[in-house]
Amino acid sequence: MSLQNLILNLQTYWAGRGCYLAPTYDVEVGAGTMTPDTFFRVLGPRPWKVAYVQPSRRPTDGRYGENPNRVQKHHQFQVIVKPSPADIQDIYIASLTSLGIDLAHHDLRFDEDDWESPTIGAWGVGWSVHLDGLEITQFTYFQQAGGRDVFPIPVEITYGLERLEMFLEEKDNIYDLQWSDDVSYGDLRLEEERQFSDYNFNRATVRSLRESFALCEKEAGQLLDKGLYLPAYDMCLKCSHAFNLLDARGAISVTERVKMIAQIRALVSRVAVQFVGPEGRA
Amino acid sequence: MEFLLEINVEEMPTSHVRTALDDLAERLARELASAKIAVASLAALGTCRRLVLVGDFAEGQADREGLVTGPPKAAAYAADGSPTPAALGFARSKGIDVSRLEIVKTARGEYVGFRTVEKGKPTAEILAKAVPQVIGSLSFPKMMRWGSGTMRFSRPVRGLLCVFGGAPVVFEMDGLRSGDATVGHKIRAPRPIRASNFAEYKAALREVRVAVDPEERKAMILDQIAARLAPLGAELYSDPGLLARLANDVEWPFVFLGSFPEGYLALPIEVLSTAMREGLKVFSVVKSGRQIPYFLGVADAESDERGLIRVGNERVLKARLEDARFFWMNDLKTSLKKRAPALKHVLFQEKLGSYDDKAQRLKKIAAYLAERAEGEKIAKDLGVAAELCKVDLVTDMVREFPSLQGKVGGLYARAEGLPEVAAAAIYEHYLPQSLEDDSPGTLAGSLLSIADKLDSIVGVVGLGIQTTGSSDPFGLRRNAQGVCKIAIDRKLSFSFPRLVDKVQAVYGDKLKRPKAEILDYLRDFFLGRLKYLHERQDIRYDLVAAGLGAGLENIYHVHLRIKALDALKASPQFEPFILMAKRVNNILAGQPACALNPDLLVEKEERELQAAFSIVKENVGPLIARGDFGQAQKIVFRLEPVLTAFFEKVLVMAKEAPVRKNRLALLQAIRKILAQMADYSQVVVEGEKAGGR
Repeated sequence: MSLQNLILNLQTYWAGRGCYLAPTYDVEVGAGTMTPDTFFRVLGPRPWKVAYVQPSRRPTDGRYGENPNRVQKHHQFQVIVKPSPADIQDIYIASLTSLGIDLAHHDLRFDEDDWESPTIGAWGVGWSVHLDGLEITQFTYFQQAGGRDVFPIPVEITYGLERLEMFLEEKDNIYDLQWSDDVSYGDLRLEEERQFSDYNFNRATVRSLRESFALCEKEAGQLLDKGLYLPAYDMCLKCSHAFNLLDARGAISVTERVKMIAQIRALVSRVAVQFVGPEGRA
Repeated sequence: MEFLLEINVEEMPTSHVRTALDDLAERLARELASAKIAVASLAALGTCRRLVLVGDFAEGQADREGLVTGPPKAAAYAADGSPTPAALGFARSKGIDVSRLEIVKTARGEYVGFRTVEKGKPTAEILAKAVPQVIGSLSFPKMMRWGSGTMRFSRPVRGLLCVFGGAPVVFEMDGLRSGDATVGHKIRAPRPIRASNFAEYKAALREVRVAVDPEERKAMILDQIAARLAPLGAELYSDPGLLARLANDVEWPFVFLGSFPEGYLALPIEVLSTAMREGLKVFSVVKSGRQIPYFLGVADAESDERGLIRVGNERVLKARLEDARFFWMNDLKTSLKKRAPALKHVLFQEKLGSYDDKAQRLKKIAAYLAERAEGEKIAKDLGVAAELCKVDLVTDMVREFPSLQGKVGGLYARAEGLPEVAAAAIYEHYLPQSLEDDSPGTLAGSLLSIADKLDSIVGVVGLGIQTTGSSDPFGLRRNAQGVCKIAIDRKLSFSFPRLVDKVQAVYGDKLKRPKAEILDYLRDFFLGRLKYLHERQDIRYDLVAAGLGAGLENIYHVHLRIKALDALKASPQFEPFILMAKRVNNILAGQPACALNPDLLVEKEERELQAAFSIVKENVGPLIARGDFGQAQKIVFRLEPVLTAFFEKVLVMAKEAPVRKNRLALLQAIRKILAQMADYSQVVVEGEKAGGR
């Protein structure tokens, strides 16, 4: 099964369980959790079901295309179901079976792995799911987002698409994967990994990144003053990406790191307050 | 009657399972005790998916007998023995026939009354209330909610099986209704299982390959490991923590043997085993102490006939080892010395500065220690180690595997050709990690470890950050225990107050708390740790207290004092001597310090005491100085008969002030020597009441 068939399968499976298939969000994020379809919708009392593919950028994971397992941009298949159903683990397990994985001959394990993102003031409890030792999914019951308790409790299921595809194709090298029957992952992504690794680690201009961080931070504040929390949140995401790039450039000292994370976090929590509203209506 | 409870949960962390099982059993037992239900047995077992209690309880509460009294006998019956209106009225008001009344003797005289028997409630009824209450009362370090429910637990609770005497005990929690059913293995047999007793329950689970007893699973793992290793003639690289965790994480363990390309054997075993344990939770395999290219994994499976589990794990491990090799090669490209400036960006503590600041302090503290511990020969290498011991914090390897800190720095130091003394010191300077762990094997490693730990302790205490029962964010207790353990294991003799003073001096004006206050606090803190350290070795608590009571000048000497007391406690001179020492203490209590004038000693016994004391003092002084408290103690025993004679014949509290003061002065001089050995007043002596006071 090619990677795109994997995506199609998961989309079909989750659409069949009532999920709305969201388009990929068009601002750089480190994880699918950070996009508005997750961040906003886990807040407040309304039920929500969504599934989408989200490219996730982690500049420090760049390996110039030379490491068979690590890349500075990978793809997540993100699912949110709120409130979490009682049989959600079974539903998840059935999603793997629907991909043709015969679990009778494999070892599927839910390993304690609680998740936390200080930048967006979020944490949850759950597992990393391992299939024959390979981590294929993060499975999390959200407890807080934007610094607020969430209720009802959403469950987040994040499949690592490349990992899962490596399992399905029994390949050791990410670049050998088939995106479609006649296009390989390497065809599509190798050059990108080489160039972006160089950019992330060596070329990104530290001063511009700092300026960009400061500008977006300021803009977010001004937008929030006008009650425009949606564009303000985009600005927070841009701050976060600038921060990640500065980190890859090795330009952030310890005290600065703490301060910058606190800056983004403060904005994100204002965003959450405006979204939820004074009566928690969302 | 048999009781069986299963709380069906989504996979719980190992540490939570252990505390939950203990708490469940303990709390339910308490509830039953307060409901007066006899408990013959109650055991807890389970897996990460089921918390199980099995018990044997009485069928119900015991019946409760009571007595209701009415009017006095005299008022209740007429002379002919017939009941009076008072008796009839009483019986009517209680709804009983008057014939049930009997004569009851009380302290106030004879009355009429009747006996009642209150039937005990059936245990099942009590359980239906107590069990949900106990489940709801469990707490975990981190609690969660799920769905739209109100319950809080470690992980979502999905089912409740509860039976007593073969019948379901029904209750409701957060929308879940208990009954006599649970589910089999989530993947192998996700179908309902009914059970009305433990034997049925256990057998039904076995059928779907769930072994519910953790000890059984541990044994299964060990048996299979032995079977897989026998053909290789190899052994497991022991890892009890991992074994306990895996036994919890699987419901039916299957052990498989995997291999990896031999090329990775070039990596040190520390790195290999860490990559295996932390990257994949598999065991490394050694033969005659050396890593061989195999590993052992534990799957939650019945078998691996197609080898898919093994191959999958091998693929993941290879990627992890490839990473480790990349980190190793890449880290080695930059020498520790060149990398050292990066420590300026790594924070040790907000007010105490970076790890670079710490390294600079460690250089000075280690040099001071080397001078005092006859370590001149290693002083130079120790300085190199102090400067570089924290540099591995900024290597890729430690970022990926934090538990390798120190060790990997030592390995890098060795690989880049730094002197072996320095490499070993870096490697060992986090040791001992616990009281079961070994102290560093080299002198340089020991001194560096002491310097590092004391630097942290003095710094944090100097800022006024409090360590309390539950809160010890900087691990000060563990660090202080480490310092004590090293001093004792390595027989290191140094002045504790002067070392603390040196560390304070190195910190300069960063520490706001007054110097004397810091030292006082640390003396108590370390004495507390030494107390713990010795009491857990089963040394009598009063002897430990006596040894500690002589004060903390030198950690190793405190240990030797306690050991000397422990070794001599059975000697025939011990108790008489202790009693005498107590007598000296008692008579001196509240007396001002007096000056001794030997010319004023006139009585034979006091002159003899003076003579004996000066010989003892002369001999004992050097012994105490070098820590030979056993020998010193034996010499001091000789004072006991002389003191006995002295107290018998000489009146200490003489009328003439100069004579009295002189005698007190002699005893004070003796007490001063004794106080350097122990605080004898703490020792509990059998014959205390007969003699002494």
